[in-house]
Amino acid sequence: MSARLSHPSAPLTRRGFNHLVVGAGTAGAIGLTAACAVEPEEVEQEPADSDEPIELNFIWWGDAGRAEVTEAALDLYRADHPNVTITTEYQDSGPYKDKLATRIAAGDAPDLMAIRRDQLREYGDRGALADLRTIEAMDLAGLSEPVLAPWDVNGQLIGVPAGLNTIGFIIQTTVLDEYGIDLPDGDTWTWDDLATMANAITAASGGSIYGTAYEMATVANLYVWVRQHGEDLYTEDGQFGASEATIQAWFDFADEMRQAGGFPPAGFFDGTTSAAEASYIAQGRTASQIIPTNNFKSYNEACGGTLALLRIPGESTAPRRGQSIDCPHLWSISSQSSYQAQAAELLSFLTNELAAWEAMGTTRGVPPNAAVAEGLLPNLEADDVTATEYILGLQAEDLPPAFADPVGATEIQSKLADVAVEVEFARITSADAAAQLVATANDVLAG
Amino acid sequence: MSTSTAPSTTAPTPAPARRVGAAGRGTPRRRNEKAAYIFLLPWFVGLLFTLIPFGASLYLAFTDYNLINNPNWIGLDNFEEMLTDEDLLQALKVTGIYTFVGVPLSLLAALGVALALNKGIRGLKYYRAVYYLPSLLGGSVAIVMLWRYIFGNQGIVNAVLAFFGIDGPSWVSDPQYALSVLISLHVWTFGSPMVIFLAGLRQIPIMYYEAASIDGASRWRQFVSITMPLLSPILFFNLVLALIGSLQTFTQGYILSGGTGGPSGSTLFYNLYLYIEGFQRFDMGYASALAWLLLMIVAMFTAANFLMSRFWVFYDN
Repeated sequence: MSARLSHPSAPLTRRGFNHLVVGAGTAGAIGLTAACAVEPEEVEQEPADSDEPIELNFIWWGDAGRAEVTEAALDLYRADHPNVTITTEYQDSGPYKDKLATRIAAGDAPDLMAIRRDQLREYGDRGALADLRTIEAMDLAGLSEPVLAPWDVNGQLIGVPAGLNTIGFIIQTTVLDEYGIDLPDGDTWTWDDLATMANAITAASGGSIYGTAYEMATVANLYVWVRQHGEDLYTEDGQFGASEATIQAWFDFADEMRQAGGFPPAGFFDGTTSAAEASYIAQGRTASQIIPTNNFKSYNEACGGTLALLRIPGESTAPRRGQSIDCPHLWSISSQSSYQAQAAELLSFLTNELAAWEAMGTTRGVPPNAAVAEGLLPNLEADDVTATEYILGLQAEDLPPAFADPVGATEIQSKLADVAVEVEFARITSADAAAQLVATANDVLAG
Repeated sequence: MSTSTAPSTTAPTPAPARRVGAAGRGTPRRRNEKAAYIFLLPWFVGLLFTLIPFGASLYLAFTDYNLINNPNWIGLDNFEEMLTDEDLLQALKVTGIYTFVGVPLSLLAALGVALALNKGIRGLKYYRAVYYLPSLLGGSVAIVMLWRYIFGNQGIVNAVLAFFGIDGPSWVSDPQYALSVLISLHVWTFGSPMVIFLAGLRQIPIMYYEAASIDGASRWRQFVSITMPLLSPILFFNLVLALIGSLQTFTQGYILSGGTGGPSGSTLFYNLYLYIEGFQRFDMGYASALAWLLLMIVAMFTAANFLMSRFWVFYDN
């Protein structure tokens, strides 16, 4: 670092210094934002029956385990389609979403991709995703109307579920047994039952285990709470449908448990990973939490195989059902792809082919094709059977509809995360938090 | 640099005029300059690849570019939006605190360690390397993750505090403390200014100190009257670079908060906010405008720094 200087007592002259600084400093500030624009115009398509060698790029998020089973399914497809080369990439979900944005902006969109529910319309409304109904090679016959309806936006089907999913309450039964607390009935329990159980666990364990701990800022949890209050977080026409009172109650309920001991104190959640092994319930620091049901197997394995999977409380007593099939994970085809027919054929294989699901299992949820789901059931491991039956049971009931999150949902989620922390640390009241969230949401959605 | 700047209207070549001030060292100096430009060549080539994005970014700052559709010209709307943007205010606050607390602390640490290492202790090279190491690692993902664990609820810091009977806060998840975790990381990476300070200290002729001690000047007096003035250009250099670097902090906040700037915006660095607007909220036009505002802020602080330097930086030439 030290330059050799001509005069020993002048480490740096003024002019020499100025020269040094001019280039060094500010160059980095601007470079971040440059990208090129994509013209959303018709892209020339390779015919569906073409035998020409083509290359499909297919990307998703997830861990190495998910990648392994997905590749196994793809290998089946590759064997039948020698002219199709499938290149794949996968990443953790956070960086995945940032990278996808960059790739699409750079005009380098993958042909087939996984998209988060809360980002589907961010891409779809801007014309980045193909209308799957217009692609002849796309086989949608096995998917029921309720499965497809949420992703049918402005008359265009811009995604199909990569797996049916919802959330569930997992409870560590060994903790209940240890303290002689009864396992609630998952079909009929209420939020008050949850509070009673949670407070009892914390008290019985002398505070070493918290009865329950679920993320206040996870939107999938909030969907259910809001629906049970007779509202929708996002309505069908893309508005923010939750009232301040409902949001405030969401914060207040957890806060009451926190006061009573059943819910951990402020700052408890500081985990760096979403891995099941590192979860608080696997570490024995909490006795129950909410998870997406496709993760049940990994949680149960991490927790010694003694978890019970219950429905979200209040389902039998609330004015309206809260649980729905809330798929967080969808497949979409790029409107910029020249191989939409080929991508659709691959997507049809991944959606409707039992052999593909036998290779993949339920890592992304239950097959959206009911016949495939039924055929898969005998081949699943016990934990996946539990989660699959949970979904199939719900599906047989009359559930409220789910809707794709409107454009701007990402920003509303950051606000939810912010106010949740502010309430947790008692820096603002729950009423203020609710008012701020509703105001921000309305502001963002207004345009 | 006392080279004559008089226009050489009469001299056939500039060389003789230059010799006047440079005391006959014109030729090696010119050779040095040539060498310098050759070394700078990669930078000039890189400049081309920087200028194009610069231009694109400037254009996009006046558009509603959303990453997917073609940008539409919206004039000054993006800049108008900044006036009422509360997140921007928060980002400026976080970056400001980080800079105006972190930079002085890290420079103090750097100067302190440099002074200690300048005493001709044995194994200087070893110590220099050890203290420099964090600078190389500080911006890396792994170190920020490590910091997260150290300051986590179950981390070493709270374990040590618990040993003394103190119930430590949730450093990482409490909005009151999260930024201080990153400031401590900033201070810890004092290595590169330290190495520059050390080089500067070694340039100060020992005879000044000898003369001063013969005159009976105390150690403190020597530090104030000899070390600080002669080191002031180095301090200024470090200050300018640290300030610019600090205003552009990104990685630390991104990793600590998982890309959100949380808890509750407490680590929402300016560049992180810009990134969130551009890549997560699909408002690249606004993000580009933010980038230009940052450039102006950095330029303003740097200019102010240079102006103020006239009053405290001493060039002994």
